[in-house]
Amino acid sequence: MKAGVDVGPTNTDAALLGHADAILSTVKVASVPGDPVASVTAALGRLGAPPLAQVAVGLRGAASAVDDRRGLYKVAVLRIGGHEAQAVRPLFGWPEDLLRAVCAGTAIVDGGGGLDREDWTPLDTVAVARFAAGVAGRAQAVAITGLFSPLDAEQELEAADIVRAELGELPVALSADLGSLGLIERENATVLDAALSGFATDVAARLAAALSPVTAVHVTRGDGTLMSLEHLARHPGLSLGSGPASMLRGAGVLTGLEDAVVADVGARRVRVGALAGGFPEEAPGGARIGGVPVGLRIPELIRVPRPFEPAELAEAVDRMQPGADRLPLVVVGGGERAVPGGLHPAHGTAAGAIGAATSPVGGQYERVVRLPDRSDLPAALEAVIEEARASAVRAGADPRHVRILEAADTPLAYLPGPFVRLRARAAGPPAQL
Amino acid sequence: MHIDTGALPAYARGCAVLGSGGGGPVTIARAAALQALDDHGPVRVVQPADLDPDLLVMPVGTAGSSAVMSERVGGTDEPLYLRQKIEELYGTPVAALMASEIGGANGCLAVAWAARLGLPLVDADGMGRAFPRMDQTVMQLRGISPTPAVVCDGRGRTVVIDHVSGRWLERLVRAALEPFGGQVATSEYVLRGHQVASSTALGSVTRALRLGTALPAPLISGKVAETGSILVEGLGPDLGRLVRVEAGTEFLAVMEDGAPLAAVPDVIAMLDSRTGEAVDTEHVRYGLRVSIVRVPCDPVWHTPEGLRLAGPEAFGLFALPAPATSSAPPGGPPPAAASALREDPPAATPSPPQRPVTS
Repeated sequence: MKAGVDVGPTNTDAALLGHADAILSTVKVASVPGDPVASVTAALGRLGAPPLAQVAVGLRGAASAVDDRRGLYKVAVLRIGGHEAQAVRPLFGWPEDLLRAVCAGTAIVDGGGGLDREDWTPLDTVAVARFAAGVAGRAQAVAITGLFSPLDAEQELEAADIVRAELGELPVALSADLGSLGLIERENATVLDAALSGFATDVAARLAAALSPVTAVHVTRGDGTLMSLEHLARHPGLSLGSGPASMLRGAGVLTGLEDAVVADVGARRVRVGALAGGFPEEAPGGARIGGVPVGLRIPELIRVPRPFEPAELAEAVDRMQPGADRLPLVVVGGGERAVPGGLHPAHGTAAGAIGAATSPVGGQYERVVRLPDRSDLPAALEAVIEEARASAVRAGADPRHVRILEAADTPLAYLPGPFVRLRARAAGPPAQL
Repeated sequence: MHIDTGALPAYARGCAVLGSGGGGPVTIARAAALQALDDHGPVRVVQPADLDPDLLVMPVGTAGSSAVMSERVGGTDEPLYLRQKIEELYGTPVAALMASEIGGANGCLAVAWAARLGLPLVDADGMGRAFPRMDQTVMQLRGISPTPAVVCDGRGRTVVIDHVSGRWLERLVRAALEPFGGQVATSEYVLRGHQVASSTALGSVTRALRLGTALPAPLISGKVAETGSILVEGLGPDLGRLVRVEAGTEFLAVMEDGAPLAAVPDVIAMLDSRTGEAVDTEHVRYGLRVSIVRVPCDPVWHTPEGLRLAGPEAFGLFALPAPATSSAPPGGPPPAAASALREDPPAATPSPPQRPVTS
């Protein structure tokens, strides 16, 4: 048997699933303010389940920590980009209070790349070491963002080695692990990832202490898949957006729909999103978290505050439709009765917990490559698929059963090249170890 | 008059409107301008009459790919290198900057670079909007030489282009884009102070500021119903109406019942009804609630020479009937003729291989 838990700001839902993901029972308990782990154990206790093989937990704590500027690590922000990346400096335009909570110093050092090998400048290793020495004692984590690192992450790795040599073992977030082209948004995501290290390490350790070793514990990610606690501790930014993502996944599982528009009705607002192929439709230009734009792969949502006019919600649902062909509307969440139309599946109030319990462990990989010869595409895509598969295994998927959810090549317009963005997503059941 | 950090958001919104759906997203350029104003203080906006007649006015902008600009956000020294080389080539000091193109990213970059150089910005620009080509300027119509022109990057790597026409300048700058990594800073069509009043689109900066706070009444408000060929279906007071929007790198025409409500060279802006932000041609999505507004272009674009350089036919829209509802600006709209739109561009105007962030 396995369980899913969704820790919301007010309530925590849990669902117990049996053979073939049959839903045996669901419960709702009041969340313990500021203590997601206590909320999880309370909900599991109420579920009254026998020892569980697997528990998947949806923690909204990462987003709340950023929103509330609570429990964030001080981050040293290093940008590799030299003269080509000065016009907008790191953390420019961040809300003042978030800046104060997060920033342990910034620097732009020489280095970074471009579309062509010739455009690359050597990393100024001396400047990296000097910066690291300068933030010693202040920085609890480091975020490194290299110009054009989605094409080649080598200099970010090199800088990380220098930083560790200078500062010892501390969390170092690399932008190539988190986002695509779009320096500022990728850098912001990397800084938040580093800032959440303390929160993530703490939650991972306490969840493990509370539930392991009997139970395999996973947490949800913003792309609708799961990851292990070790992976959460290494890449906390991946959990941003995970609350809505598991809600969307749950709505799909409960209705058997792979493609749908979903309204998640909460006490104070309705969040409208969409499912495509069983996974959340992602915000195309990234999203905003804590008041800053981030280039993370998280669900696109339209928020409609309650109470709402029926026309307001109808507009939000229409806007999430992918085209003129209507997808069905699925209504879930604690306040689902406030929306009369659409499909209202049984257990819809616990959709987030059910989405967590039924999701696979995932991984994804993305690279931008120059492909003058189209015949090189299959080999390049195969390499990216292998990386996505490896990423899913690192996140805790059973390597024997990983499958590829998506492998796509998107030509980048208006670039000399031609350049292609290659992206693959992989997922598999949690490894039982 | 000054542009400071308080006025910049409205100015940037106005630049986005004048981008007519193109000109490159203002996001990065707006942030660069805010940072420059933060670091160096407000930028003084001057009128052509305030300029020393013999000193130089340096038009500035970037050309290249918006995807590159989203990553390579730019340096701080491009305007220094441009100014140094232009002063050396012309043997005269630069007294003020001007946006080559007010529409889109370049309108904001001109503010950033004026702040960095501590120079005033002229209340004028080369286009009065955004156009895809560097030679689609009022200076070109008025016989100002495009060269010597300077192309550089944030490290000061510089190319001087001389003895060519506007069309050749465009060719050579595009050829320079690949080795420069997809994006360059440029200055071309350099003016003397006394030439500005007769050879530019006047009042562009104040116009952008005004459009950033108040827009003309929309041609239609509704939702995007189709994105292949863009269709907007009227909602609310416009229920029952349907328009088609022709688009290239900019919005080119708004057609209703076979007749244009608006057409290039006038500015056509699509505004997201929820955010009020201008939507560029690449981000038109199904279901988006939008208003479409028409902003008259500089009257010079409605003269026969102006239309030849940047009228509907320059964008492959042949024998477009005269806009039905627009008040004809001075200079007169093109003569009415009944025919359908053709999508293929004329052989003489191949579409550029890269999307210009600016000209």
